[in-house]
Amino acid sequence: MQVTPDLLREIEQFLYREARLLDNRQFHRWAELLAEDLRYWMPMRSNRYPANSKAIASLDEAHQETHDLTEAHELAVMDETRESLIRRIERLDSGFAWAEDPPSRTRHFISNVELEPTENPAEIRAYSNFILYRTRGEREEDFYVGSREDILRRTGETWQITYRKIVLDQSVLSAKNVSNFF
Amino acid sequence: MVAEMQGLVNSERGLVSRRIFIEPDIYQQELERIFARCWLFLCHQSQIPNPGDYFTTYMGEDPVLVMRDSGGSVNAFLNVCRHRGNRLCRAESGNAATITCAYHGWTFGNTGKLVAVPNLQDAYFGELDLDQWNLIPVAQLDDYKGMIFATFDPDAPPLREYLGEMAWYLDSFFDRREGGVEVVGGVHKWVVPCNWKLPAENFGGDAYHVSWSHLSAIRAGFAGDFRLRNTGGSLVSPGQGHCVITLGGGDIAEAPEPELVAYEQDTRPEVVARLGPRAEQVSPIVGTVFPNLSIIRSTSHSFRVWHPKGPGEIEIWAWIFVDKAAPPQVKEALRVNGLRGFGPSGTFEQDDMDNWQECTHTSRGVVSRRYDLNMQMGLGHEEYRPDLGGLASDYRLSESNHRQFYRRWADLMAAEQWQDLPA
Ligand code: FES
Ligand SMILES: [Fe+2]
Repeated sequence: MQVTPDLLREIEQFLYREARLLDNRQFHRWAELLAEDLRYWMPMRSNRYPANSKAIASLDEAHQETHDLTEAHELAVMDETRESLIRRIERLDSGFAWAEDPPSRTRHFISNVELEPTENPAEIRAYSNFILYRTRGEREEDFYVGSREDILRRTGETWQITYRKIVLDQSVLSAKNVSNFF
Repeated sequence: MVAEMQGLVNSERGLVSRRIFIEPDIYQQELERIFARCWLFLCHQSQIPNPGDYFTTYMGEDPVLVMRDSGGSVNAFLNVCRHRGNRLCRAESGNAATITCAYHGWTFGNTGKLVAVPNLQDAYFGELDLDQWNLIPVAQLDDYKGMIFATFDPDAPPLREYLGEMAWYLDSFFDRREGGVEVVGGVHKWVVPCNWKLPAENFGGDAYHVSWSHLSAIRAGFAGDFRLRNTGGSLVSPGQGHCVITLGGGDIAEAPEPELVAYEQDTRPEVVARLGPRAEQVSPIVGTVFPNLSIIRSTSHSFRVWHPKGPGEIEIWAWIFVDKAAPPQVKEALRVNGLRGFGPSGTFEQDDMDNWQECTHTSRGVVSRRYDLNMQMGLGHEEYRPDLGGLASDYRLSESNHRQFYRRWADLMAAEQWQDLPA
């Protein structure tokens, strides 16, 4: 798929609309934007010495661990399918989901949208940055800041999310929990 | 100042003062008398398998560096440079022959030895005795079934004695099959505004909250419906403040994934043969090793440390563990279900944070603080069971473990030395 100014505009609008659905807590409508084969993945960051660091002299180069992001087979904050996200939504519907009862008030800010073609002509890769502000109860406030890499698939008039990688910038999360969607 | 412990915990009547969740003096005394004395969990052997591997953590609020030296033995030190007290290692894990302090460049080897100091000849006139300025080691370090523990107290009893009857219960989590367990790569780390004892007591004995606090996750299919089961099971206190929640023998509370349920069934004969007849009577699913290591082996298989960060804040550091001998698809199912159930986004765990936060915050009110907390469930309906190696409740719901946890807490807070502690 070719990247054009019109396509960029269309994808931006899609992402803004998605954010509005989340902030309005229209989670079932949001779930309609998720592809059947979705992987929704939020790996974890950690503090590592880079390979050129002079703070450390490795005993064994092979075990120096310079990557600062967990890998696919490792721990993640979230590692979801469409089905498991829908179960998370059903949990919120149950009337017993105390972490969201009373609910969070959220605001998603999406920026730095960039498109990149993929091998699949029906799909486009979209990079974006986000701030998710959450306030809850009397004065709880959390900022979740990071980037996303999406693969979006054209389905008729609209788009579906088939891959979303969410990278938070924090290593130790300062929020007591992650009970919202990104 | 030593806070007077009299009257803060009354385990005979099941009453606990709210002062212990909020007051700074009591918290300072906990750092001294609990965290600087007890055996604390550092990391799992499978995190640092190779010579030079290290992992940084905390014991109480003291930063600690756990390292496997070039010869293969594990040591732990204050992660603090001896010169001006800068934090030495700033990475969470990695591999090192030597680590150099970012401030003035003192260099320490992976045995903790100070090996190089810039300007040693000209500025120190060669007069600094490097041997006097090695990293400060922990007083004792030992391993139980792959779990590495340490204490800063040379007078603390050896680890095996400190664990006592809890050792069998640890076996039931970590030594079910040949090879024991290994951890999935990565550690969940997050901040929760609550006192550290609330999660420790919750994992130690709060079977009660599960079917209400976690009903949303159960209803949404993240667990088998164990709310409806009325099996045996008991709260077991194996002594010295350690606590375990058990189901009846043979019962499981796994995530409802067919491969996990099948794995439990298929391996059961092997597990019972390995663990012995007690495994026919009880299935341990959650527990706390006093003071701040908790383990869960139900819808998620996780162990976690509740690192204290002041009276009203903790960092949770949580791992997912799997039987080393489990097939790859079982390990993968445990990884995925583990993080969907417990961890920052856990469909079970996220509901706990709120409760612990509010239980802590309401302790700020001076009037609220005058009223003791109630830990009276099943008072008098517990007995010492030699077959279970501990004090066990007569019913599967009880606050008997809470009473033992806080009794130990009060004993440690009052005791000047290990010898003064009641058994
Ligand atoms: S503080 Fe570490 S070298 Fe000075
Ligand atoms: Fe819980």
